[in-house]
Amino acid sequence: MTTHDHAEDKPRRIGFKRWIFLGLMILGALMAWNVGGFWGGIWRPVPPAVILPAEPAWPGLYLLPGVPLTNTMLSTLIATLLLFAVALFAVQPHVRSGQEVPSNFFYHVMEVGVEFFWNTAQSVAGKWARPIFAFSMSIFLVVLMVNLFKLVPIHETVGYVKKGHGNIQGYATVPVFGGALHLLDGSNPFPKDQREEHSAEASHAEGEDASHSESEAAHGEESEYWNSTEPCPDCEIVPTFRGAATDLNFTASLAIVTMLMVQVFGVMALGPGYFVKFFNVTTMIKKPIFGLIDFLVGILELISEIAKVLSFSLRLFGVIFAGTLLLSIVSTLSFGGAQPTAFFVPGLLLGLELFVGIIQAYVFSTLALTFMSQATVSHHGDDHAEAH
Amino acid sequence: MEFNDIFLQAMRYIGAGLAVIGVAGAGAGIGIVVGGAVQAMARNPDFTPTIQTNMILGIAFAEAVAIYALAVALIILFV
Repeated sequence: MTTHDHAEDKPRRIGFKRWIFLGLMILGALMAWNVGGFWGGIWRPVPPAVILPAEPAWPGLYLLPGVPLTNTMLSTLIATLLLFAVALFAVQPHVRSGQEVPSNFFYHVMEVGVEFFWNTAQSVAGKWARPIFAFSMSIFLVVLMVNLFKLVPIHETVGYVKKGHGNIQGYATVPVFGGALHLLDGSNPFPKDQREEHSAEASHAEGEDASHSESEAAHGEESEYWNSTEPCPDCEIVPTFRGAATDLNFTASLAIVTMLMVQVFGVMALGPGYFVKFFNVTTMIKKPIFGLIDFLVGILELISEIAKVLSFSLRLFGVIFAGTLLLSIVSTLSFGGAQPTAFFVPGLLLGLELFVGIIQAYVFSTLALTFMSQATVSHHGDDHAEAH
Repeated sequence: MEFNDIFLQAMRYIGAGLAVIGVAGAGAGIGIVVGGAVQAMARNPDFTPTIQTNMILGIAFAEAVAIYALAVALIILFV
């Protein structure tokens, strides 16, 4: 009886959030399994229209003539603004206040990440750790932020209605809430052979994920492509927000900038003699026979730099795009009209997407760190007596 | 024409199925990475965090190759 058990003082409360989750799960199950014809079955997930390039976030939204503000650009903008908000309003005030114990969740997370990464950078890069750390940590934060932002429920489902075209399967739309929103009706696909290519294009199915904790539904706003409250027989929904890494432009630009910075760090560390790594002409004079092999190895290094650009961009793009596609297709697998997996599988897959997004951000930045620190090290240690 | 469209779609399905054969290499690769990591952890249990970090890195690289194959299959199927 020396310690007083404080748990007896507080009255036991039934948790409140669990009822919200249970309610959402039941709602998702009703929507996905079409129990009792829930609302005419229009809330069921619809197979997605797989479009690889990004599309305008809203019809007619152009930055320059011919350059639309794509949905991935919009998503990237908002994600980086969120990152700035975290830095300015959560991390900086704590750093300036000089408190010993962090009182802030975001500061904790940033401190863990930065310290872990800084230790890795110091052990790998050595003398050039500070500039290399700055660059690779920025890449890590950006890729992490866009990968995490992709999981917010509005992504890839809410957008505007567009008439079907090309090879994409179209569906009839159903106006709900008095015509303010349209849903795609999965049980009314438009036969492609009845599609007239110029007037009414085929409808596109949009993936609706009715997962148990986020009730996502494809809400299409009226647009200049389908600009009325009447139901459209043959339409698709183009999302307004789309994960940034599903756009090959984003990953390729990050990859090109990273490889350029590798060359820049090489020149900063070794001077113009850095390019001797690629065009190794001096060894042909010193060692006549094996020098030719060294020269060819140098040319191979040049080709390998281009292969690294491809590898960087395709790795990140492939992982995130395939994850998105997997999510939208698995949640709409239908066995003879029933969709048994639409209820819980998207939840599990979103967990996998979270993990994979964090891992890919870490891989991209660690690989960038490794390449940059390799570029600052002289390659001629084995050829000459002393370092170059 | 009707037959050409059906033939194209059929070839798309076959192509996507054949493209996914490449994930076998990724499975073998991940098995080798994790096998080496587990052996290293058994030899030197104090070093486990470093080994785990490098194991995750190696798994991500090996899995990326499988994702390349999946991306090619999806592009064949849908684009």
